[in-house]
Amino acid sequence: MESQESLLKELSNHVVDMDEEMAVETAQRYIDGHFDAYEGIDKGLAAGMERAGQLYEEEEYYIPELLMCSDAMYAGMDILTPHLKADASKDKHKVVMGVVEGDTHDIGKNLVKIMLETAGFEVVDLGRDVPPEDFVAKAIEIGAEIIGLSTLMTTTMENMERVVQILAEKGQTQIQVMVGGGPISSGFARKIGAHYSRNASRAVEMAKSLVGEVVPC
Amino acid sequence: MLKDEMTPLERGAALARGEKVDRLPCNPNVANGVARIYGCKISEFNTSAKAIANAQIAAYRRFGYDGVRIFTDLFPWAEAMGATVSFPDDNTANLAEPAIKEISQIYQLEPADPYKDGRLPIHIDAMKYLIDELGDEVGCAGGIVGPFTNAFFLFGIETFIKLLFKNPEAVHRACEVSLETCIRYAQAIIDQGLTPTISEPMSSCTVVSPKHFREFAAPYLKRLVAYINAHGKPVTMHICGKTDKIWEDIVDMGIAGFSVDNVVDLKHCKEQIGDRVKILGHVDPSAIIYAGPPSEIRRAVAECVQQAWDSPKGYVIMSGCSLPVETPLAHIDAMMNAAREIGYPVVPEKLERMIAETPAPPSQPEIITPSEKCSCPH
Repeated sequence: MESQESLLKELSNHVVDMDEEMAVETAQRYIDGHFDAYEGIDKGLAAGMERAGQLYEEEEYYIPELLMCSDAMYAGMDILTPHLKADASKDKHKVVMGVVEGDTHDIGKNLVKIMLETAGFEVVDLGRDVPPEDFVAKAIEIGAEIIGLSTLMTTTMENMERVVQILAEKGQTQIQVMVGGGPISSGFARKIGAHYSRNASRAVEMAKSLVGEVVPC
Repeated sequence: MLKDEMTPLERGAALARGEKVDRLPCNPNVANGVARIYGCKISEFNTSAKAIANAQIAAYRRFGYDGVRIFTDLFPWAEAMGATVSFPDDNTANLAEPAIKEISQIYQLEPADPYKDGRLPIHIDAMKYLIDELGDEVGCAGGIVGPFTNAFFLFGIETFIKLLFKNPEAVHRACEVSLETCIRYAQAIIDQGLTPTISEPMSSCTVVSPKHFREFAAPYLKRLVAYINAHGKPVTMHICGKTDKIWEDIVDMGIAGFSVDNVVDLKHCKEQIGDRVKILGHVDPSAIIYAGPPSEIRRAVAECVQQAWDSPKGYVIMSGCSLPVETPLAHIDAMMNAAREIGYPVVPEKLERMIAETPAPPSQPEIITPSEKCSCPH
């Protein structure tokens, strides 16, 4: 019989290798071995996604590779999730995110969402072309600590600033705003009173620091 | 405000002959922001050739920049091939639904007819108005997206990305039919007397790997450039985001000019490929030109010129990407005025002085390496 450790390693490798079928097969063997489902996700699949994120940082992987890795991760999670023990889910930090109104490109937003979920955040995804008011309303409704805004187009950046303004008007400045996407820079973020991260893995570090979790350097 | 002494065409011709000019060419890449200068809604560009042309003309008259272009968004070609595009009242168009739902449909998909399909005929009419009005003073271009970028919009972006791994044949087919659309449209641009320019944002190393670029994007892009060159026109290409790993591939295609995003190292770009193509770039459109203040813009222009003005095949001051629609007009003036103040020939000591006069901002912005392709349209 295979050890838990070797199965976790395999799960992680299948994610890095973008192998959806093998991720499913190994996840099934993992469950058949009666190992802990939460550890399978955390130390197997999510660990693999973190390695993929590292390869992306190093420019070994690009956006298409990351998306294929996340497909493999989610395929494995579909097998493991039903076996999670109820107490495995502690209270999670909540994030509302979406692509700002006027833009429908959502690859970057999806990547950040995947990485945040991998890191243990609860993410509510409002999708694409989202009006500024909707971000704020949803964040207040669910008690989110962070609003994440993505855009690919310089033409839509004003809507990011609008979200920060609405939060101020409603006296909700404890909700932090993170912005990212092609045309966004740290200079722009500073100007509108938001936080900038330059890619999906940096966004996770930023989110952790914003909710007060210690980030290992 | 400082005044120009030459028209853009006079300036370009004199530079090409190595004669005296008043300043370096400068193109802030105002994009759909021209609607703000002309005083129309951006959605009017979807139905009115006159609005597109008049807005371009109004913005050119206002700023005197070196290049006008008919190009409203990334999607007219995919739309003309069956994609659905959403048209916000006063913002840039968006892809709503891809052209095809099933992969097999790609084998039935026809290239677009630029004189019949979608908004393409409107753009062609706009080209006629534009060149009639401005053809003897400024270079008039027709913008087109590259075949690889267009192919993304036929399938939808995420579906297309997966096909790169799972069905290369379908990707090649989509690029081939996109190329035919691009070639027909390029011919239409040439027939109106304008010069085609290519935007190929999805080819960026910020989106796909150099390996995927070489396999799926480069072959078709090269054929498009070859077609345009064979019909007597030079080509300028813009690719957003990081491109340093594919510079040599791009130069080998035979382009005349390469417009670079602000995420690349401009000096490095000049040193590596400036001996073979003209370099255009790359003042940050959001953190600098949109955000300002004008003193920062002046400094940033001087810094770009410092890095690339002596590029062997020539240099054009440009923004790294299209400007945000609501960029204050005074900021665009500041960019043009910086070019006028620098003048020509460029005096390095003067650039140093201009840079020293504006202290760097309190905390240096970190180098931007966006996780996605850059802003569009270009």
